[in-house]
Amino acid sequence: MRIAAEKGYAATTIADLTREAGISRTTFYEMFDDKEACFLAAYDRVVDALVRRVTVAYEAEEGWPNRARAGLAELLEALAEEPEVARLALIDVSAAGPAAQRRYRAALQRLTPFFEEGRDFAPGGRNLPANTSRMAIGAVAGLIADEVSEGRAEYLSGLLSDVLFATLMPYIGPEAAAREVGERAR
Amino acid sequence: MASESRRDLILAAMIRVVGSKGYKETSVADVIEEAGTSRTTFYKHFEDKHECFIAAYEMLVERVFAEVVASCNGSEDWLQRVKSGLATIVELFALDPELARTAVVEVAAAGAEARQLHWNAVARFTQYLEGGRELSGGRELPDNISLMSAGAVSGLIFDELLAGRATQLPALLPDLLFAMLVPYIGPSAAAEEMRRVAPTAS
Repeated sequence: MRIAAEKGYAATTIADLTREAGISRTTFYEMFDDKEACFLAAYDRVVDALVRRVTVAYEAEEGWPNRARAGLAELLEALAEEPEVARLALIDVSAAGPAAQRRYRAALQRLTPFFEEGRDFAPGGRNLPANTSRMAIGAVAGLIADEVSEGRAEYLSGLLSDVLFATLMPYIGPEAAAREVGERAR
Repeated sequence: MASESRRDLILAAMIRVVGSKGYKETSVADVIEEAGTSRTTFYKHFEDKHECFIAAYEMLVERVFAEVVASCNGSEDWLQRVKSGLATIVELFALDPELARTAVVEVAAAGAEARQLHWNAVARFTQYLEGGRELSGGRELPDNISLMSAGAVSGLIFDELLAGRATQLPALLPDLLFAMLVPYIGPSAAAEEMRRVAPTAS
């Protein structure tokens, strides 16, 4: 993952990986079928770690808007800490083939429970489309990916108000979302 | 045959082949076979596969955009414009799954320049369809609002195409409409509009 983040996935060779890890080629092939399998395994570990951090931050708060804000803040911070990994995980993953693209979309959907809590919080939550969480996740992912692809991953934390708005808005509407975001802006 | 139309044949072939084989697996040989032109003709017009793909992608975007604009037919009614525009896109994609796959999924595998073209196109579509910030009744919306709608709409379409369900895209129309409208009219009014275009209601 580290090497792919630096060199780009396409330019990374198995030789790069074994050298960096200090293992033999034989050991590599005992563990993985090929470069793609290795990448996907590494990808899953990165996503697992991210989801764990977000979950801890989210669950430490009370009330959906507070929980969403804490989870998103943690997500932005984690991505900003490692801009190359953020780039690989959100942008370059598309270059690693259809299996990797599916992993990326699946990783996004792991955030669904954090968003769906908005359905219970929102006054007319039951009437919202089943896909509401996917829309909100798409909006948040779009905002973050745009920032990362412009090379501004380190400054992701500045995006907190916008991603919080994008999360709350489809559930509680633009006015209430702007109010909730405004109350928590510092 | 005029040189211009040979070039167009190659571009159209590129879109089809990439949509069925994937960008990485597509070779210049595949494209000239599909287009029925010679290798010499290909290299007279394009430096390589990537340059050809970029040109093909630009053509694709113009074509889809022209159809969207035509379907809106100068409508001043913003709501109507969003509905017709979204319907045109999902129908176009459903009728031509290879074009859809190239437009939305495979473009991501074709490098940074292609990804930028894709994202610009998504932003252009949402901005065109929106053109209706005034509908928010003077409410303050974030500057990024069209980026958010773009992310919501393109995420839903991307997942359907990645799962190979291009032909079922029209069923997603109510949800796409909700995603475009909710920032302006709020969740309950957007859900109401959504039910109006739902297949069961028509």
